[in-house]
Amino acid sequence: MEEKKTKRKVALGLLIVVVLVGIGALKVGSFLPTIGALDTPANSNISDYYINHAYEDTHAHNIVTAVLADYRGFDTLFETCVLLLSGIAVLTILSSKEKIAQKSDKEMIEYYRHSTFGSALMDGAFRIVVPVILIYGIYVLFHGEISLGGGFQAGALLACAYLLNRIIPKFDLRKQKAREELGIITAAAGAFFYVITGVLPMIFGGNFLAFGKLPFAASTIAELHADGILMIEIGVTICVAGVIITILEVVLERTNFDD
Amino acid sequence: MIKLLEHLPVLVILFPLCATLLCPLISHFKPSFGKKVVMTGLFLSVVCAVTQLWQVVSTGEALHYYLGGWKPPFGIEFVIDGLNGIIVVLVAVISWITSLFSSPFEKLEREEGNFRSAGYYSMLSFLALGLLGMASTGDAFNLYVFMEITAISGYGLIAIGEEKGPIAAFRYLLTGTIGASMYLLGVGFLYAATGTLNMADLAAAMPELVDSPLIILSVGCLIVGFGIKMALFPLHGWQPAAHSYAHPAADPMIAGIMIKVPAYAMLRFFFCIFSESSAVMEVFFDAVGVMAVFGVLFGSLKALRYTTYNKILAYSSIGQVGYIAMGFAIGNFYGLIGAVLHIVSHAFMKSGLFYTSGALKYKFGIHETTELGQVYRDMPMTGMTMTVCALSMIGLPPFAGFFSKWYLAIGAIENGQYGFVVVLILSSLLSAIYFFRVMEKLFMDKKTASERTDTVQPKGKLELPWQLIVPMIVVVCAVILLGLFNSYIVGDVLEPTIREVVLA
Repeated sequence: MEEKKTKRKVALGLLIVVVLVGIGALKVGSFLPTIGALDTPANSNISDYYINHAYEDTHAHNIVTAVLADYRGFDTLFETCVLLLSGIAVLTILSSKEKIAQKSDKEMIEYYRHSTFGSALMDGAFRIVVPVILIYGIYVLFHGEISLGGGFQAGALLACAYLLNRIIPKFDLRKQKAREELGIITAAAGAFFYVITGVLPMIFGGNFLAFGKLPFAASTIAELHADGILMIEIGVTICVAGVIITILEVVLERTNFDD
Repeated sequence: MIKLLEHLPVLVILFPLCATLLCPLISHFKPSFGKKVVMTGLFLSVVCAVTQLWQVVSTGEALHYYLGGWKPPFGIEFVIDGLNGIIVVLVAVISWITSLFSSPFEKLEREEGNFRSAGYYSMLSFLALGLLGMASTGDAFNLYVFMEITAISGYGLIAIGEEKGPIAAFRYLLTGTIGASMYLLGVGFLYAATGTLNMADLAAAMPELVDSPLIILSVGCLIVGFGIKMALFPLHGWQPAAHSYAHPAADPMIAGIMIKVPAYAMLRFFFCIFSESSAVMEVFFDAVGVMAVFGVLFGSLKALRYTTYNKILAYSSIGQVGYIAMGFAIGNFYGLIGAVLHIVSHAFMKSGLFYTSGALKYKFGIHETTELGQVYRDMPMTGMTMTVCALSMIGLPPFAGFFSKWYLAIGAIENGQYGFVVVLILSSLLSAIYFFRVMEKLFMDKKTASERTDTVQPKGKLELPWQLIVPMIVVVCAVILLGLFNSYIVGDVLEPTIREVVLA
């Protein structure tokens, strides 16, 4: 009874806080600039520069990609590192937890008798989807400069294809799975590729991540920037795919889905 | 070829970054090489940090480094002046000696799982580079990215710690996420009001916007955000558990510098960006002052209640962060000198005390102060480090801790805020009580010493592996030298920067 009373009090207190914050937010809303208005500082100060110069600076039709991968490429490097770091943290924390026992062949056959998507037909259909997703992932990766897309999405798609391939029952029951440590090493290699792209210009007289100084043959500096953006997108893709696969494998190996 | 000197600000971060990315690969083939790579990376980072500070001090000008070659408002820049040059050196040195300190602990753990050691060193190096980045950046959003890196590696290092580690890490994860979101919200309001993220640009836009409601909101959000990250009094809930149960080898870094760099960032925001004082800013500074006073008293009183060594240290940290916030609230020249000096000296003292805590756990598995019983006979170096750091925490004259408190007191008297002086003296007395209680157990407790007589130290052998001894020696030297050569540090490095950059 006592406990219920205190719970009710806490709930009431939370409600009051939520209402107060809501009223405050409504009040704040009137001070915030109108969305999309052209004369507000957020839309007129440095945005103008990006809109007017992004294409001639970087050859990226998509201004978001230009800002993300080139003007603020240093932020993106560390956003990629955040992902890698979360993979490392998951792997390290769970490495002391025991893995579930390997299933015997007989259990495996029994286990795979229940199909993942309802029927053997559906499983077969999804198996066809896997290469399509892979192709789409690569398309998203290389298309990031022109329209929507880029490294993060492409990496997620590649990992998604792997995930599908992993959970659909196989004809041969041998387990096809990546070793968890290999996944994180690949991911780290992807991030390292990003760093290398940044360090190369330093050797040839530019600043870190100054793609204009990349030692490649190109007719204009903007083209070099485009090359640099493509290189770091590849690095990001490898890193993201590696991290997602690692986290998936680590958790799958320690979870028993039967119970 | 590369002109290394031009790239110093980014090299400080690049070396640990490369080390941490290569560590999993190298450990896969040769486990003992991974940690050596990380140590080398952090050592090179120390060299770069010291060189860059020397450059800044000798030329008297701030270093600007444009990342990607884009000019500041459009790209990201690193700005190193005398103030954050010191913080960068501090972070680099403590990270490097902590990586050294970790080595014997990870030897014990390698048997458990082969990735654990590599993951530990990767996360340690990520923590170091996150803090280094937070200290060197001149861009408000870039600071958020580094804050995220710091936080996530912190969660990992706390979770792989002792038995209660995962729960402490989860609590920190929840509160830390709120803190980071508040910071991001504050930066969002700033961006809505000014349209830029560069700190110098923000500062230039401020005078016209002093009383804009967006700025007031953003200051409020930033106080909460930084307050959570630096464990300022009412927002400290995550801190005691996180500092007590973290990985014993990474604890010196987590307790020593992870809560100091947000404090530096707070200083940078409030005195370099919002430097135009208005009535509202005054109210906010009063709020920080109140939080600081209660934090100092709360931390010291709460530390009296515990006998667990790590808990005492964790609660004393809440009090010590209060001193730094007090320096901000005083806000004049001496107050700020005191705050910066306290960031540096407390980082060394607290990590020193956590080194001893780690060493005690390594050798005897001691967690409670009641088990300390004359342990100085077996571990003279550990006993010495504990004594020096504890005396410095109390604030006795030859050591570093005295001078920061001294400057805070001068600043408070100059502003006529005598309440702060009273709190300073009172909390120093309280910390004297709880540290002397620890030292009484350390030097005089006969009861537990007799139980340990069977572990006799073999003659001519070190009390601990050398990797544990070196960090302690470095810390003790730092605490004593920071005290003895205080006037040079304040006069040559801090004073010009604070007069020019912060109070201009």
